[in-house]
Amino acid sequence: MQGVLGAFAEIDSTVHAIEDLKKQNFSDITVFTPTPRHEFDDVLDAPKSGVRKFTLVGGLLGVTFGFWIPIWISDYWPIVVGGKPVASWVPYTIIGFELMVLFGSLATVFGMFALSRIPRLTMTVGYDPRFSHGDYGIWVVAGPERATEAADVLRKHGALEVRNER
Amino acid sequence: MATLAQPHPDDQPLRRPNVPTADNRLPGVKDYEQVDRDVIATLKPTLGWFLALGAAVTALFIGAAAWIYQIYEGLGAAGYHPPVMWGVYIITFVFWVGIGHAGTLISAILFLFRAGFRTTIYRCAEAMTVFAVMTAGLFPILHLGRPWKFFWLIPYPNWRLIWPNPKSPLVWDVFAILTYLTVSATFFYVGLIPDIAVLRDQEKNPVRKRLFAVLALGWRNSDREWRHFTRMYLFLAAFATPLVLSVHSVVSFDFAMALTPGWHASIFPPYFVAGAIFSGIGMVFTIIIPLRKLFKLEHMVTINDLDAAAKLCLFTSMVVGCAYLTEFHIAWLSGNKVEQEFFWNRVFGQWAWAAWIMLICNMVLPISLFSQKLRRNTTWLFILSIFINIGMWFERFVIVVPSLSHEFEPWQWSGYAPTWVDFAILLGSFGWFFMWFLLFIRQLPVMAISEVKEIIPPKLRHAPHGHTSGGSH
Repeated sequence: MQGVLGAFAEIDSTVHAIEDLKKQNFSDITVFTPTPRHEFDDVLDAPKSGVRKFTLVGGLLGVTFGFWIPIWISDYWPIVVGGKPVASWVPYTIIGFELMVLFGSLATVFGMFALSRIPRLTMTVGYDPRFSHGDYGIWVVAGPERATEAADVLRKHGALEVRNER
Repeated sequence: MATLAQPHPDDQPLRRPNVPTADNRLPGVKDYEQVDRDVIATLKPTLGWFLALGAAVTALFIGAAAWIYQIYEGLGAAGYHPPVMWGVYIITFVFWVGIGHAGTLISAILFLFRAGFRTTIYRCAEAMTVFAVMTAGLFPILHLGRPWKFFWLIPYPNWRLIWPNPKSPLVWDVFAILTYLTVSATFFYVGLIPDIAVLRDQEKNPVRKRLFAVLALGWRNSDREWRHFTRMYLFLAAFATPLVLSVHSVVSFDFAMALTPGWHASIFPPYFVAGAIFSGIGMVFTIIIPLRKLFKLEHMVTINDLDAAAKLCLFTSMVVGCAYLTEFHIAWLSGNKVEQEFFWNRVFGQWAWAAWIMLICNMVLPISLFSQKLRRNTTWLFILSIFINIGMWFERFVIVVPSLSHEFEPWQWSGYAPTWVDFAILLGSFGWFFMWFLLFIRQLPVMAISEVKEIIPPKLRHAPHGHTSGGSH
């Protein structure tokens, strides 16, 4: 992947540079920010996170499994107490609830990992350690024919540093 | 066009505040770099840290030695004699589970309620939760005569193909505590990932840098990662919130499902949950007040944050006090002679000394927090937190021991005296807890770097109209 990386000290310059890049029809833009900011969500107009789907599926699987285990155990090893059901759903709600939370939470984390594509063995191109410290970064995917144009936009908005990477 | 966050004077509300940091200000922190600098500075080991770690490990060894002695001699070494077959171990188990509640309360419930004061204290509280639950988890095993057979509690058939009874509160406990430990540890670790990335990028030592690189999982602070991360955090908080309430409810079922006087009451789940949160906040004060002083973090963990946490402490103390009084009311209203006799015995009989320690530490002393002056006095908050820890341990003593030593028939009435083995293992549990905590504070950030940065106004190139300057970052 080839592109241009720009580092910014200020949030408004970063936002304006993204707006300008989008006007110039650069569509593959990644922003690096030390902390989540709604400004970037707004300007990038990114789709909603799909993590919630993982949460739903994990939670449903968990609650199903959480009821199935005690019902199966009761059936396999019945403890018969006069007049009472061998498998009673009321106390099993506790196990069902706990496993819903357990599976749902783990599925949520798995979803975040899968959608964010982590764990990542290499940092890939377009990252600089300053982006976890205090600066903002914009990585624009651009071939050699448009790299200069992208770099010009970044510089125009006050980038501290602009460099081509591949 | 995207709307930019502007520096906001105090009389102007924030625009779409970032959720976990709503309406919280840190005037002593100037820029993002200062956050990194101040928090990373806490990772340097000092003589005091080594001494504290040495003390914790010594306490742990004392506890371990006592446990080995108990395994050799049998559970009688721990001071049990019928009918009091639950003593210091179960008391301490409930105590540590309770301590473990404040972390998730502060990180998850206060996150959903958008309480800004949580931002600077939740990381410590989360670590406290994980280590407290790890400590609590030891006690059911310590309480076994044959601890190597602990896995019989897990729903897995033993070699005679006998399954545990899923209607038993002890089995519910296994599910609840293991779920709580797993979810709390996961919540703690994933919250740390962006901060470990900061350490990775700032670290000079190649070995530590490599280690942080592995733990950071290749986190790059990209908008995609943050988008999914913030959603994940929200959903985890939404799961953790009812989990906090359920876990101590389940622990309370260990008691409430029995017909023993003083235990068989439907008030137990809310009573236990309130007590757990109260004791956890007490321990948060015990930990955070010395830490902010030693690490010179008073400008981050501000007195306003402590004041807000003290109000929460006061509220939970009042809930706990209400529960204590309600128990007496229920016993009186029930007309049940055994219950009435038991509760009379609790405050005026054999165990009155323990009950009054509990009532004074948990109900009376926290009333001082109605005074704003005392809420903002860190010395008083620290002293009070020690009383709360003591009071909450005695609360569990008062629940466990008087009930077992004063059941229905006079021939069941007895006493209970913990032995040196009980006290050594109790000491060892504190050693185990503080050993982990001390190791944590020197290896990983005690404060959520990325969330604290959300509070700091971002630097702007163009000062907005009506403002003289942007953030200084």
